[in-house]
Amino acid sequence: MNIENYEVPVSIVEAVQSLQHGDATILAGGTDLTPQTTSGAKEFLRTLINIQHIEEMRGISVDDGRYRIGGLTTVTDILESALLAAEVPVLVDAADHFASSQIRNAASLAGNICNASPAGDMIIPLLLLDAEVELAGWIDGTLSMRSIALIDFFTGPGKTAMQGNELLTSIVFAAPVEGFRAEFLKSGPRPALEISMVSMGVAAVQKEGVLSNVRVAIGAVAPTPIRARATEAVLEGQLLDESLVDEAAAAAGREVSPIDDVRASAWYRSHLTGVYIRRLLNVVGN
Amino acid sequence: MSAAMEKSLAKKTVIGTRVPKPDAPDKATGRTRYINDMVLPRMLVGKILHTDRVHAKIISIDTRAAKALPGVHAVLTGDDIPELRFGPTRDNFPLKSKKVRCIRDEVAAVAAESEEIADQAIALIKVEYKDLKPVFSASEALSKGAPVVHEDHPDNRSLYYEFSHGDIAAAEAASDIVVEHEFEVPYVTHCCMGPSCVLADFDTTGKLTIYSQTQYPYNYKMDLAPALGIHPGDIRVIQPPVGGAFGSKLDVYPFEPICALLAKATRRPVKLTFSREEEFINSPTRQPVEFRIRSGVNKDGSLTFRSVDALLNNGAYTSWGPTTPVIQMRTFTGHFRVPAVEYKGLAAYTNNVYAGSFRGYGNVQATFVTASVMDMLAEEVGMDPIAFRLKNAQKSGEVTPQGSILDDCRLGDCIEIAAGKTDFLSKHAANIKNRDVPGTRKYGIGIATSIHNAGGAKIHKSDGCGTILKLDDYARATLITGASEIGQGIDAVLSQIVMEELGIPFADITIVNNDSALGPWDVGVHASRTTFIAGNSALRAARAARKQVLDAAAKQSNVTAEQLDLREGHVVQADNGVAIIKLDRLLRQMHFGEDHELVMVTDYYEPNSEPEDRNHVGNLSASWAHGAYVAEVEVDTGTGEVKVLKITAVQDVGRVINRLGIEGQMEGGISVSLGYALSEQLQMEDGKVLNPSFRDYKVPTAPETPEIELHFVESDCKEGPMGAKGIAELPAIIPAPAIANAVYNAIGVRFFAPPLTPEKVARALHQASFQ
Ligand SMILES: Cc1cc2nc3c(=O)[nH]c(=O)nc-3n(C[C@H](O)[C@H](O)[C@H](O)COP(=O)(O)OP(=O)(O)OC[C@H]3O[C@@H](n4cnc5c(N)ncnc54)[C@H](O)[C@@H]3O)c2cc1C
Repeated sequence: MNIENYEVPVSIVEAVQSLQHGDATILAGGTDLTPQTTSGAKEFLRTLINIQHIEEMRGISVDDGRYRIGGLTTVTDILESALLAAEVPVLVDAADHFASSQIRNAASLAGNICNASPAGDMIIPLLLLDAEVELAGWIDGTLSMRSIALIDFFTGPGKTAMQGNELLTSIVFAAPVEGFRAEFLKSGPRPALEISMVSMGVAAVQKEGVLSNVRVAIGAVAPTPIRARATEAVLEGQLLDESLVDEAAAAAGREVSPIDDVRASAWYRSHLTGVYIRRLLNVVGN
Repeated sequence: MSAAMEKSLAKKTVIGTRVPKPDAPDKATGRTRYINDMVLPRMLVGKILHTDRVHAKIISIDTRAAKALPGVHAVLTGDDIPELRFGPTRDNFPLKSKKVRCIRDEVAAVAAESEEIADQAIALIKVEYKDLKPVFSASEALSKGAPVVHEDHPDNRSLYYEFSHGDIAAAEAASDIVVEHEFEVPYVTHCCMGPSCVLADFDTTGKLTIYSQTQYPYNYKMDLAPALGIHPGDIRVIQPPVGGAFGSKLDVYPFEPICALLAKATRRPVKLTFSREEEFINSPTRQPVEFRIRSGVNKDGSLTFRSVDALLNNGAYTSWGPTTPVIQMRTFTGHFRVPAVEYKGLAAYTNNVYAGSFRGYGNVQATFVTASVMDMLAEEVGMDPIAFRLKNAQKSGEVTPQGSILDDCRLGDCIEIAAGKTDFLSKHAANIKNRDVPGTRKYGIGIATSIHNAGGAKIHKSDGCGTILKLDDYARATLITGASEIGQGIDAVLSQIVMEELGIPFADITIVNNDSALGPWDVGVHASRTTFIAGNSALRAARAARKQVLDAAAKQSNVTAEQLDLREGHVVQADNGVAIIKLDRLLRQMHFGEDHELVMVTDYYEPNSEPEDRNHVGNLSASWAHGAYVAEVEVDTGTGEVKVLKITAVQDVGRVINRLGIEGQMEGGISVSLGYALSEQLQMEDGKVLNPSFRDYKVPTAPETPEIELHFVESDCKEGPMGAKGIAELPAIIPAPAIANAVYNAIGVRFFAPPLTPEKVARALHQASFQ
């Protein structure tokens, strides 16, 4: 369909008012939307809402132990955040493995989440942090906010629990507990500009070899990014030794359901899952 | 003589210095105007409807709705135009009317007021097909009862090449060791930054001006004319700057005559541009080949025989890809001494896309095979890769079985320098020991070598290039050359040659090579030939101009022309550099004085080479060059990722003319070969291209570009301009097998089919761990 209206809200309230009747496409950095609409994979709806000018949706802050990242915060903003580098380095690490400088300058965190690709790179560290997303809507003439756990946000490839009249305004998560270590790995035949064949994050607190608060998140091996709960259960409260690593790798192998596509075979994705979990446990457990 | 004239100007050479390409500032600042940027008054937009089938009969094409769309000026199908054949073997048609044979096939074309209207019109065209059974693999295509791609080739055989030297059977029987290997090399594509684009404009008398990206403007006229049914003389080719060519623009492709036919039908200029996706699917690829090679070696390390069967997937039509055996077989038969050698190359029609020429022209494939086999044979006889190569390397004075005359062969030098600079043998041995040490990081070092024509290649009746050189009243030079600038840097090289001979500054030289109506003939930019051939022609023209100027100067003074020289815009005394007269003043005196003499010379240079005879024997090139490249890699045995740490390139370049240019050529070539080795492959499934985007087709990017160390062997080629040889293709040929050999050194696994993707390496390691 052709775009009939173009709107440029400058506040969340203005944006959700424009969105209330649905039939609208939200444009953030456009780095997913543009290739998708150009190739025909996705069609523009009647109204195009450019949210780039909503300043209140930008920025990274921490307040009373809760981090808040505005939905329009770019991957570059994350990469350059001294606060995150000091306190939540796994997010910076993932940003460092993301696309190229040009794309990072445009790509928003909300866009990465709302695009709901199983290979979305920023999603993995956020899953390790048990992040929630805040969604805004305009109901009965007022602004209405709800929040939902990020892991519940994804319902399928490109599909989310967000309604057509909602806007993802921010991402929030609690400050990691003392001793929490989180690491991220991403595959690719070349180190830059690569859509992940597998991406994985592992986080835990390690005390005298025993792991707690274990979280394992994996991308590009299932219809949505996943939390590998069974693998986490294998590891939680256990002494990390070689046999536990083997067990965890076996569990992770059972939790993934990769597919063959033009980028990699299911075999290779499973293989990488095993390689990555071993490598990440090796780092996190030390 | 005035006091100011009494300065002394020392002789300075510009040969071997670093000269920036004259087109670089405009390209870097975005000022360059490509065809893609051009707009002519009344210009329309052309668009092609490509089929979505791979092999089907066309039942009907309904263009009524498209024609009725406001803003559409023409809709053409094969039925609207005469059935004119074109292509090197005349098996292609601009628009296909009876059947489609591959996913590229052009079934209709539209000219419209705008891109959007053209797109809409294309979407309105309805084509009814009856699918035919397709065939995709070359070997299946040759089997009995296979679907026929071209009715006039019922056996699907396209081109065949055969060369044989010596008694293979006897040599095989007498060999200590005989081994056989199979290799398969993939579809890769050029990835020119500027997608294909053409602008066609007819005048009222029916003459065509075509703004083209071609890299062979003169023969292009000859090849384009039959597709249009017009006389080649009625075509004028204008060549605005191009965004890359690399061999892809050495032929006519259907979009070009289609654009011209649209221009003819509408009597308006029409421009046609590919999208990136169209570019990936419809522009030529490198020739994919399946090889079977039998090799013999004696225990003392001497090669005894080599027998090569090459099966080429021709695709649906014939461009230059299936002709690459001509160059390919020279590497199998030469460069290492093989007493008995045979090569058979057969191309089979299939319903796949088709290949054109691509930097390296068949030698990329041959070198991947030979360099891998050389390492395997060395291991068979228990020799190291360096000693084994040195033992078999050809030497100066040898003539290869195909008649390549190696009057000054530096292969041995290249190997020795490459091994010495990289501490090859100690690293090689250490890496083998490290294979069994626990850990997932393994290191490897590998070498590869090759030979390539470095003085043109006489595959046409003439391999020449013409030059017109004029000096104006202000001592500004204009050099009109047949040689095209496609980014390779010839404008800088030719300017340097003029500078050197005429002593005028770079800024005072204009190179003109963008209009076939002006330029004297040249065969085209291919075969690493332009510096050699166009350089020689420019040099001869510049020397003729120099002689004319110095003769005139000698006439005015009391010295002979031989006692004079041209330096920094002056005529000087050669012995002491004392200036006699400013060059511009002398030129005005020549022009407006009694003699009315204008400096304006022409030259046509034909290299001292010969076409092959029917048995593929003949000294095809006026010079041959060798190179030896060493790759150092790190392999992650968990993920299978191969990281190239360093490439050390040693190459016989004859003489460095533009140091900056030669470094750029070599680094660029290495990058192309890096992609071939590790990541690039146009994935074909059932005749369709699965990865027509830069997201999924992996060209190397800056972060994975390794450290590159270059060593130039300056052999001072006696035929070459200032001693130079052609250098451009070897850097794109040799690195890939050096990388594969290095990976073997690291992990002990041999790969017979590039690219060595992480998945392929991981799988191979996984399989090896179960053996
Ligand atoms: C060359 C290239 C390389 C890339 N590399 C990577 C990579 O390495 N890793 C990776 O994960 N991704 C990569 N991507 C994908 C893309 O850049 C990211 O997903 C990016 O974060 C998307 O953000 P955006 O702001 O551009 O989103 P947009 O394209 O503007 O939007 C994406 C989708 O989200 C919706 N949307 C956006 N914002 C909101 C909001 N606030 N509320 C509700 N809906 C919203 C849009 O309607 C659209 O459907 C790459 C893309 C390209 C072109």
